[in-house]
Amino acid sequence: MKASSKATERRREGGKTSARPQPNFQPKIDVTIAGVHFQNPVMTASGTFGYGQEFSQVIDLNQLGGICVKGISAEPMEGNAPPRIYETEAGMLNAIGLQNVGARRFLEEKLPFLRTLRARCIVNVFGYTTEDYVRCIETLNKGEGIDAYELNISCPNTRCGGMVYGNDPKLTEEVVAASKRVARYPVIVKLSPNVTDITATARAAEAAGADALSLVNTFVGMAIDIETRTPRISNVTAGLSGPAIKPLAVRMVYQTYHAVKIPLIGIGGIATAEDALEFVLAGAQAVQVGTANFYAPDTSLRIVEGLRAFCQRKRVHLADLVGGLRIPGQTANSSSGIA
Amino acid sequence: MFDEIVAVTENRPLTGGHFLLSVQSPRQAKAIRPGQFAMLRLPGRSDVLLRRPMSVYDVKPLSGRLRSKSVHPPQLIQFLYKIVGRGTRLMAELKPGDKLGVLAPLGHGFFVEEYLPQAEAAEEILHVAGGIGIAALLLPARELARHGLSQRLFFGSRTKADLVGLEEFKPLVKGVALATEDGSRGHQGFVTRPLADYLARRRDRKFLLMVCGPWAMLAATVALARQYGHACLVSMENRMGCGLGVCLGCCIQVEGTGHGKYQRVCTEGPVFWADRVIWENEGIPKT
Repeated sequence: MKASSKATERRREGGKTSARPQPNFQPKIDVTIAGVHFQNPVMTASGTFGYGQEFSQVIDLNQLGGICVKGISAEPMEGNAPPRIYETEAGMLNAIGLQNVGARRFLEEKLPFLRTLRARCIVNVFGYTTEDYVRCIETLNKGEGIDAYELNISCPNTRCGGMVYGNDPKLTEEVVAASKRVARYPVIVKLSPNVTDITATARAAEAAGADALSLVNTFVGMAIDIETRTPRISNVTAGLSGPAIKPLAVRMVYQTYHAVKIPLIGIGGIATAEDALEFVLAGAQAVQVGTANFYAPDTSLRIVEGLRAFCQRKRVHLADLVGGLRIPGQTANSSSGIA
Repeated sequence: MFDEIVAVTENRPLTGGHFLLSVQSPRQAKAIRPGQFAMLRLPGRSDVLLRRPMSVYDVKPLSGRLRSKSVHPPQLIQFLYKIVGRGTRLMAELKPGDKLGVLAPLGHGFFVEEYLPQAEAAEEILHVAGGIGIAALLLPARELARHGLSQRLFFGSRTKADLVGLEEFKPLVKGVALATEDGSRGHQGFVTRPLADYLARRRDRKFLLMVCGPWAMLAATVALARQYGHACLVSMENRMGCGLGVCLGCCIQVEGTGHGKYQRVCTEGPVFWADRVIWENEGIPKT
């Protein structure tokens, strides 16, 4: 199916110059992932957008494709000791430690607002054990207005936490399968980039029934204050995000696109429509904006406009660009040469 | 709260690497309350990714000398800052007409209705500023002066060149005690020395302390307030990712357990009652 859509797109683009101009061409940028329809493919990434309401004074939340809320665990979590963040070159380190209100309070205090929005509500789910994930999902299942779960198996900042799952295909399969068994809503699995081969965990998640994958979470990094010889972050290691990680993330989406059939949501340093389009061409059907929300809350909305303008200019629908990377010398959709 | 791109009207160099930055932003200037802050962003720079949190130092009408404040609403927001790192170094290069991203007003400041009983019960309000911490105290001092309350300033810094903002403060207070680490002006040493002397000589009086400065100075001042039994409000600073309460990067430890153990300087703060903060575990990085 992918091949035919891509071939169609190529034919369309190839014949563009001779085709009659279509002054009324209206590009479609909406997308359906795991049965959930998004009015546009731009979502805000978990942990960078709170529970949505915090941004309601600054941007029109109804223009977003979706909102992935801060990671929710079955019970509230207090988070890590400060300092928790540090700015690096074109990026930032964070080790928040998943401080959150817990599933029950999320349903009572946060979901009623999110439910009123046109933006889809994706609830990021976190646990230390498979039972934690299951328990959290069972609680969240009682909520109305959740559109999908995003399984956080990749947080680098909690001891013996999510990333253990994200690093091990077997554990990935176990936690995804257990979550799928109980989940009332579709399950998106958020992959860790801190692995040798991301396609191994991607395949494991797919095999266990994941409806879609989102990638990537932050890269484990570290910074040191040379004056005091102490780590900049109390947790010592922390997750690196921001423009600095974008090329790494694009590469991982590209690899994963050729390894699985389920839809991909690209994440990693996206701050402009051009950034988002790189992810789309590498194989993502949608994108999430993370760190940019902190310094420019309107980033997602500008990306939506930019995607529409690009598609208008190229006379294509966004779906036709997914995986549309062209590698000179390779035939369309060839997967050879991929590590 | 407004997220705006505004124009710089002035970026005046002061002594000791300090600057007074003025931007024209009527909507924000009108909405700002004492003790609140702004997140500042240099547009179009990916090397300085995050916004910088900064106390609102003052709000002013466009042309302060010609127009009376009561008639003309404030249009300018002023920030008093010192060059401490990459972000402030770039800020120092701003010129009139340059654009600056300003997200403001933010945070839970010195909201007078919340501490007025303590302020009115106190014989004096003692402002205690460490270095650039003075920037958070001018607006609350002016508000309290309007309430006709008696105030005093204890101001400490490294050298006399760092005692910026002193002249603006003087008309609002009954007295000023200065301390510099190098002894170039006032008491040689920390500001907590003259403060301790003052409190020790007036053990039977009630004061309200309002404090802003680096962590060690805050902790020492809070210890004095506790020792002499005075109410104490602190304005905290910390690195911040967003200023909106979503990144949870600026949390400090407060009294409380579980999910309430850490609170956000940007949202629950920057102003806290001092006895709520856990001062033993310094979590604020030194700049």
